[in-house]
Amino acid sequence: MKFIKCYKLMAVAVVISLVLISGCKNKHSYVSKAKFKGDHNIIITFAGEVDTAWAKDVKNYGIYAKPDPDIQLTISKIIPGSDKKTVDLYFSDAIDQNQPHILTIKNIMADGKNLGSTVVEVKKLYFGFLFSILIGAFLIHNFVFTKYLGLCVFFGTSQKQSTAVGMGITFMIVMVASAMMSWAFYQFILKPFHLNFLQIVVFIGLVSLSVQAVDTVLRKINPALFKAFGVYLVLVIANCVILAVPLIIANNEYNAAESFMLSLGAGAGFLLALFLMSSVREKLELANVPVTYRGLPIAFVVAGLFALAFMGFSGMVIF
Amino acid sequence: MPATTKTNFQLVINGILKENPIFRLALSMCPAVGISTTMMNGLMLGIAVLFVQVFSSCTISLVKDYIHPRIRIPTYTLVIATWVTVIDLTLAALAPVAYKQMGIFIKLIVAFAIITMRLEVFACKNTLWPSFWDGVGMGGGFLFGMLTLGFVRELLGAGQLFGYDVLGFRPLLFFALPVAGFFCVGFLMAAFNYIEIVYNKRKKAVNR
Amino acid sequence: MKEIIRITLGLTISCLIAGIIMGGVFTATEKAKEHNEYLNVRGTMTSMLGFNATHPVPADLRLYSLYRYILDKNGTKSIGYVLPVKKDKKISYALVTVGLDGKFKGLSYLNISEEKVSKIEARKTALDAVVKPPETFTYADSTIIAKKGPKLLAYLLPGEFNGFKSVIKVMLALNSKFTITALEIMEDDEDPGLGAEISEEYFKNQFDDKSLQTMKKIKVIKQPLPNDYRRYLEKSKWKKGEFTKAKIDKIRKKYKDHDICALTGATITSRAMTRGIKGMVKKFAYRIRILDNALKQNKVPVAF
Repeated sequence: MKFIKCYKLMAVAVVISLVLISGCKNKHSYVSKAKFKGDHNIIITFAGEVDTAWAKDVKNYGIYAKPDPDIQLTISKIIPGSDKKTVDLYFSDAIDQNQPHILTIKNIMADGKNLGSTVVEVKKLYFGFLFSILIGAFLIHNFVFTKYLGLCVFFGTSQKQSTAVGMGITFMIVMVASAMMSWAFYQFILKPFHLNFLQIVVFIGLVSLSVQAVDTVLRKINPALFKAFGVYLVLVIANCVILAVPLIIANNEYNAAESFMLSLGAGAGFLLALFLMSSVREKLELANVPVTYRGLPIAFVVAGLFALAFMGFSGMVIF
Repeated sequence: MPATTKTNFQLVINGILKENPIFRLALSMCPAVGISTTMMNGLMLGIAVLFVQVFSSCTISLVKDYIHPRIRIPTYTLVIATWVTVIDLTLAALAPVAYKQMGIFIKLIVAFAIITMRLEVFACKNTLWPSFWDGVGMGGGFLFGMLTLGFVRELLGAGQLFGYDVLGFRPLLFFALPVAGFFCVGFLMAAFNYIEIVYNKRKKAVNR
Repeated sequence: MKEIIRITLGLTISCLIAGIIMGGVFTATEKAKEHNEYLNVRGTMTSMLGFNATHPVPADLRLYSLYRYILDKNGTKSIGYVLPVKKDKKISYALVTVGLDGKFKGLSYLNISEEKVSKIEARKTALDAVVKPPETFTYADSTIIAKKGPKLLAYLLPGEFNGFKSVIKVMLALNSKFTITALEIMEDDEDPGLGAEISEEYFKNQFDDKSLQTMKKIKVIKQPLPNDYRRYLEKSKWKKGEFTKAKIDKIRKKYKDHDICALTGATITSRAMTRGIKGMVKKFAYRIRILDNALKQNKVPVAF
């Protein structure tokens, strides 16, 4: 019952945030959408049909990247859509999708009437950016296999699947809690007072604090769960990832939502890595491994193979 | 464990060979895999760890009588974090190029299990000088491990040592790749195991 | 209760001591850090201009900095340059505003000294006194103009763009005709053995001698570097007497318009580099022409 309520609340929160994110845009009433398509095209969608002759004229469009307002990009070709509602602007030079672009559309002509000019900001969806941070930390820049962090705990607790999953879940909870606290501390205390050199002490202190907090809360609320996961709590402090994530957040000046996504991705990525590794190591127990390789050496080689496989994700771009 | 009976020399050798933090204890593996691509990196990080280990061991052994047992671990963490901040700021000021190469790893020394472990196991039970030598041994062991890894990876991956061309060609580019860190550590660990097995066999044979 | 007080007291004291140690080290190293960073950047710049142990830096080498700002007044944008000007036979700094159409808009002197102008906070306070709301300003980038006496040696452009893993920071040297004379990688986070090879001579030196026209249509090709070109690019491995002046000229002429050969296993990084540098050169050439025109027409007493 509790869980269902929880899900409902979360769903409501997601819907509200979606409305907030998508609803905060002011646009000309006749331009309904303008978005990137690949590296060379921008697609403009109008609310109704526009005159093809007008749409084909390069002079009616002006576009520049937001940081370079003095440099107008040259549109090399305009392809009006067959339904007269869309216009495809083609640029022979690749456009940088990471920069928002400001698109000016002059004297929109529809049914022989002049509907005036408008300025549209073409940019990637912020939601997509958040999602790419999450997936980035989870798979593409997996902290264990591509950043080589948290290895002590990783090799220490990946012998059995049950241990691995327990450790992973505990780690994820503490990770999110401590990263959010660190973010708040960094933004509201360290940065305004120029105390950046205290970063390390403050972050490790917050990690210990959140471990202690989770420990106390778990002990009181759910002793059964504590019995299962309590032993891993101490190990969390010795994990580099838990310190690396706040440092990355501080370095990149992420906001609250981005920090949440990064820490969640990092925690989930660690869980994934532990799960994969433990599955293999359970099988390795039965295999005939040379004496010198027994134990950790073969585990390292297996981890290396996983890391090689994870290299395949690198360079993947979502959104 | 009562106060140690080993001599200073034994303490250092113990840290470097018998309880080598990287190959024997398998603690603080992250930098061993992550940035052991060149000997220079290994040297810099090794020195940083040596510094933190020695200074934290000394600090703890000096103030061990005043530490309340309930807050033992937080105190260790605080001491380590302080010395890490010191070395972090110093390196950023004096060796900016090398510092940039190591990136986040200098700051992550805080979370190295090896340092906390030595404080808990050794420094809080011994006086200043044995703690100092133990710190030197452990830090030296880490430095030795990092240098060995850096030697293998830089020589095989780039044909260089400390940035100087030694071979003139690149034997196996694979070893310069970041992932090769895992393989390299695994192979070297196996080599250490092999040496130990052979050594034990010989010893038995001699005893017999 | 007594126990708790003792623990809290102990922790507070140790935290204080730790804080004092860290604060002390911070204040002690802050100056040295800035100084070293300055030396580092200056060393890179002079070596990019071709000065080294055998060609020492001449006494009349001057590096002038230009800082570009974007000014925004209720949606109307203009470009502001903070640049050194001669005033009462001394160098002081001024803000020159140029409209998006390239028209000169105004000049206002700033109250800032030559040492402090490199600090972004100092510039901000100086600009705050000049740029009145509702007009706002945001820092965009900087350019260094290297002159030896009256002769323009090079434009040095620091820049950054997205690489494969994260941002790549570079420094580019252009001559007066906007031909690239040197490229240096300042910071990158690419994989060693793959993307990190961009800082190797055989890749980064490929950009040398590329003119603005060539850069505009340059491509990245997946072909191995020609052998003679490669030997020429790896300048630090030259044997004595291997490259005579005639031979160098011949190779330079032959490969002047050659496309960039991608790094093995790091095509995306190579593409990102080429694209980033192309953008930097194109934008800079466009802007400096407009600025030069505006300055000349209005007879601004610039120091460079």
